[in-house]
Amino acid sequence: MKPVVEFHEVSKWYGNVIGINKLSIRIPAGVTGLLGPNGAGKSTLLQLATGQLYPSQGRVRVLGREVWNHPGLNRFIGLCPEQDAFYEWMTGWDFVYTCARLGGLNRSAARDAAARTLDAVGMTPNMNRAIRGYSKGMRQRTKLAQALVHDPEVLFLDEPFTGTDPVARRELMDIIRRLGGEGKSVLVSSHVLHEVHTLTPNIILLNRGRLIAEGHVRQIRDLIDKHPHHIVLVCDDYRKLAGHLLTWDDVEGVRVQARDKAIVVETHAPDAFYGRLPELAAAGKFDVKEVYSDDDNLEAVFKYLVSK
Amino acid sequence: MPIFDQGYQHWSGELTGHGWRWLAITRHGVRIGMKNRLLRIALLIAWLPAVVLAFFLCVWGLLEQKSDLVQPLVPFLMSMIGPEIVNDPKAYRVEVWTLAYDYFLLTELRFSMLVILLVGPGLISRDLRFNALPLYFSRPLRRIDYFLGKLGVVVVFLGLVLVVPSVIAYVLGLLFSLDLTILRDTFSLLLACVGYGAVVSVSAGLLILALSSLSRNSRYVGLFWLAVWFVSSMVGTVLAAVNEERRMHHQYMRAVEAEQQAARAAQPPQPVQPAKVAGGPKQRAPAAQVDHRRIWADIQREQREAAKTDWRPLFSYTTNVSRVGRHWLGADASWEKLAETVPAEERDRYLMDNMGPQYPWYWSAIVLAVLVGLSVCVLNFRVKSLDRLK
Amino acid sequence: MLFHLEGVTKTYGPITALDNLSVSVPTGAVGLLGPNGSGKTTMIRTLLGLIPVDKGSGAVLGLDFHTRQLDIRRMVGFAPEDECLFPGVAGVEFAAYAGELVGMRTKDAMQRAHEVLDYVGLGEARYRRVETYSTGMKQRLKLASAVVHDPQLLILDEPTNGMDPAGREEVLELARDLAHNKGMSLIFSSHLLPDVEAVCDHVVVLGAGRLLAEGKIRDLKQFHPGCFEVRLKTGPAAFARRLNDLGCTTESREGDLLLVRVPDGGSQQVIWQAAAAQREQIRFLRPQRSTLEEVFLKAVERP
Repeated sequence: MKPVVEFHEVSKWYGNVIGINKLSIRIPAGVTGLLGPNGAGKSTLLQLATGQLYPSQGRVRVLGREVWNHPGLNRFIGLCPEQDAFYEWMTGWDFVYTCARLGGLNRSAARDAAARTLDAVGMTPNMNRAIRGYSKGMRQRTKLAQALVHDPEVLFLDEPFTGTDPVARRELMDIIRRLGGEGKSVLVSSHVLHEVHTLTPNIILLNRGRLIAEGHVRQIRDLIDKHPHHIVLVCDDYRKLAGHLLTWDDVEGVRVQARDKAIVVETHAPDAFYGRLPELAAAGKFDVKEVYSDDDNLEAVFKYLVSK
Repeated sequence: MPIFDQGYQHWSGELTGHGWRWLAITRHGVRIGMKNRLLRIALLIAWLPAVVLAFFLCVWGLLEQKSDLVQPLVPFLMSMIGPEIVNDPKAYRVEVWTLAYDYFLLTELRFSMLVILLVGPGLISRDLRFNALPLYFSRPLRRIDYFLGKLGVVVVFLGLVLVVPSVIAYVLGLLFSLDLTILRDTFSLLLACVGYGAVVSVSAGLLILALSSLSRNSRYVGLFWLAVWFVSSMVGTVLAAVNEERRMHHQYMRAVEAEQQAARAAQPPQPVQPAKVAGGPKQRAPAAQVDHRRIWADIQREQREAAKTDWRPLFSYTTNVSRVGRHWLGADASWEKLAETVPAEERDRYLMDNMGPQYPWYWSAIVLAVLVGLSVCVLNFRVKSLDRLK
Repeated sequence: MLFHLEGVTKTYGPITALDNLSVSVPTGAVGLLGPNGSGKTTMIRTLLGLIPVDKGSGAVLGLDFHTRQLDIRRMVGFAPEDECLFPGVAGVEFAAYAGELVGMRTKDAMQRAHEVLDYVGLGEARYRRVETYSTGMKQRLKLASAVVHDPQLLILDEPTNGMDPAGREEVLELARDLAHNKGMSLIFSSHLLPDVEAVCDHVVVLGAGRLLAEGKIRDLKQFHPGCFEVRLKTGPAAFARRLNDLGCTTESREGDLLLVRVPDGGSQQVIWQAAAAQREQIRFLRPQRSTLEEVFLKAVERP
């Protein structure tokens, strides 16, 4: 896949304080999650990618061209920032329309685009009220609308779901997923792991300004050697099952959870384990009711990689 | 148990009654105020006039004892105050103490306004800006406790500037004169000082609290307070001065008119005689001089009369406060007694120069009461218990 | 009984914030959910006795909120959503002040402030001024100030707003500990449903000022007999076809999830046999249970 956003050995420091440290990354089309604890460099990365900061070292390219001092490129970039700063006296429609005009659309095109985008984010009933009277969720949706209105190729979203209630969040997530499906490149930075988890399995993980991991969550998980996988099996005859599984080579340990009638299997070769499991279950000797791994998700990956 | 629970412990202690809740807020406000270095410096400088007052009262006490220590200062005092008074200190004791306190309180009033400028604006506007009101009102705190607590901060600082120095100076003056009859004569002064402190604290305190609740930015509130202090004072002074000048001018022109007409009516028209030409102007000159002095004295008297109903100084906030204070101290009566030592023609001018505005003191009291009422209304409206917050 | 409201109505001019609301909640950890503008904040303020209501009555911890407001607030701790820390004071001074405002004596307040700051995990940072704190530390200080007077009920309004995953874990851990182990009741108002699920047992859903749903989370999450959620190593399409041949109905969901309903009388053995035959790896197999999010969305959609 052609990379849409490309960082080549980029570093950025503010005085003595390091923001990003020799970051090389290529973000493809589709939805990607940007994660990291506080101070990891996520905001710096977004600001470098949108051309608001100049890298101290290295090159930043978006859609093949350097983004610094290239305002024409903003026609194809949309940014939904974290800060909440509007012209409070404008109505929602005014604001999005003005942003559309600033994005390069002519008057009638801007009018249509504004109406269409506001409808997509669900702000049509409220678009003629002053922003001063909006709730947090409405402001968030207006911010998203202004990022989408000029139909950009690349979208940067910084904490897009704060303050939104679950209903609105569902709708906005659908919009983002659709955009990813259309081939646009969307980078979503968020602290709320389960939201990113629902949106996309592709992530970029930063810590202390450096790139820690990049790619599909499951692949990353497989690569984390230090922590064996934990797979939970629920079965009435759990102790006998435990005994049987201990005879397998790749199983390194079994823990018993008597309360749930479950056992937790530790293994460094999950693939092999899962491969042999259906035969065992279909054989009929053990009635395996449930199988799942609470280890295979984004929270676990984050915890293992970030908190050393 | 050898191993103790390090987690959350329950607490079952006593809670103090409602009456003292405001004290916690006041204590906290004072602590935060004292962290401000400018305020500490201002408080220190505000104590200098107190030192001067104490020194003066001590000197007066020693003068009454006819002590040798103050002999070198006597000529200096005589040139400042007048020999009659210095030679008979006991007789004029009450008046001199009154006027010393009067000057002192006037100076300290300026310092009070400065102290309020440093500590006042943040009192409520900071709570509004940092959204601390839910913190206060989600606790068992009534609005009245909150206001009293914040007012208490102003009262404490103004007390430090106005009341505490007065009392200490009083005690020192008492000690240095070794005469307990002073207590009988001047005790009302002390009460008046405390009352004055109370008036300033409550009135200015409520005013700054009301202003503070109007804006989230304490800088704007500070500017507003400066406007109340300086601009109102300027407006009052300018209006009064302009009015006075105009009146004087009118009176002068009228008096001169009248004199000239009278002169023309009294003197029959004289034929121009060359022999008398030389003596003529000389003859008229002395008559004109006498006219001017009489006109001048008339004008002074009329000014004094008119000042009694001149409402223009009411514009100035500080003038209002000091007018009430002067009344309670009895400063006007003291000036009148001192004026008896001054030659009669200059008496009116003397009084006009030294006494403040002469309108009835209860006009000022009414203005202050109206301001207090307005402040309370504004506070009530602005700090509703979160009904309209956000 | 933690609190109950009967027929409470509150209007702000033309806007009705609470519309004849009647709800009754047992002690324990309660989640408060609802879309924006549903009246959650108004309800919390009503419980604290901060705003007068037009109609209706109710009680918190057995105390009527019309007449015993100050007593209620003595037993309730509230950690508001927004920033509420004024600068210029050290963390421990702030917590002690919060205690003094409730009526604790100065010495008691200071001792207790240190105790709760130990509990929330603010170590040496408590001697620094609050404006130097990170978001996580500020939230923890807010929580500490809310429990310094040992309330019976703790109200948390969006406590994990803006916190990174580590911080969020800690705050949720504290909330869970207080609610389940230390006998404090909790009202947890949040938009993040997994947080609510992690901490609370009971949930109240409001919408447009009315009660939409209320009950134990365990009970609200329905159990669908015979339905299973399946996730494979590879794509689900081929497997779905095979299951259909075996008589199951399948439905595809987002995230490569497959919803399988086995024929009556069957069990997940069908699925295992199909997987073994086709040499598929089943990575996830659980009986279907609605998530809290589904419960919420269903409750909200009902007009």
